[in-house]
Amino acid sequence: MTHPDDLELLDSIREMFQAADPMPADLPERIRFALTLRDLEIEVARLTAEDGLPALSARGTEQSRTVTFDSDSLTIMIRIDTNQDGTARVDGWLAPPQRREIEMKSAADSLSVTSDEQGRFAFARVPRGTAQLIVRPAEQGQGNAGRSVVTPALIL
Amino acid sequence: MIATESCQDRSARIAGLVSAARQGDADAVGQIVTELSPLLWQVARAAGLSRGDAEDVLQTVWMRLLAHLDAIHTSTALTAWLVTTTRREAWRVRAAERRLLPAEQELLAALPDSGPGSEEQVIIDDQRRTLWGAISQLSPRCQELLRIVAFVPRPDYPAVAAKLGMPTGSVGPTRGRCLAKLRDLLASDPAGSPR
Repeated sequence: MTHPDDLELLDSIREMFQAADPMPADLPERIRFALTLRDLEIEVARLTAEDGLPALSARGTEQSRTVTFDSDSLTIMIRIDTNQDGTARVDGWLAPPQRREIEMKSAADSLSVTSDEQGRFAFARVPRGTAQLIVRPAEQGQGNAGRSVVTPALIL
Repeated sequence: MIATESCQDRSARIAGLVSAARQGDADAVGQIVTELSPLLWQVARAAGLSRGDAEDVLQTVWMRLLAHLDAIHTSTALTAWLVTTTRREAWRVRAAERRLLPAEQELLAALPDSGPGSEEQVIIDDQRRTLWGAISQLSPRCQELLRIVAFVPRPDYPAVAAKLGMPTGSVGPTRGRCLAKLRDLLASDPAGSPR
């Protein structure tokens, strides 16, 4: 029971919403960045809380920002501060606390650190821009986490 | 151009991209992202998310897709899975925000003016404003349904409609009923009058 004008009307609705509420033009690029992963066996961490303004505000005032991600097996909390040279410093905690290899992937390259027994880790200098955290699977015998935990891309 | 591609060609092309993506082809993943993100954007926004939250939700959905690619083999299954998952993620975000913020249904901002333009552009703007005004008088369910359906590739529509819980012929809002209501509202609007 399709009205002859249905498809035409739907076309008008599509054009109207495209004009009124377009997707940000750079969003697919950021998504593609977040999706260039080495393996598909991943656990997705969702952004669940964010406090503070971007670490570098319009006046250049330094301010830290905390971001929390949750996945099925892990909570990742990070604090982002600004170094004097303009790069970002990222301090993080894993809960439950555990030793894991953690990768910070940025547009240019990627950095790797290992968290300590308390789940703490730190990246002293990270270039500004889009970045993504990947918590690599635990070694055999170090818990049941066999998958990488991956956060969405965030802007540092 | 997509517009000149037949439905069968598109379905075969998307199925090929999904298959390549499963083998780890990042370029195939990128093409799917480029093609279907505009639809998912509208799904997230129709569910009442702010623009910032919609961006986060889209990222989450695409990452979750990578873990689900083994179960998806056709263009239709892909679209249906993406639309359903985007909606579910959007509800999850909204439920979490309600605990933190006063309940606030973000209403769509006024339709932007495209500024001084040709006479043709002025007519198009007026038509869009009229359509906007009519859609905003529909029930929230109809507004969401029509907004999503307008962006779903035609061959994928039946599967998406079934997933959204409004198969053709069901009781309650369906594409046909929502469009009929919209047509009535447009007919009662003095033709072409700016809003």
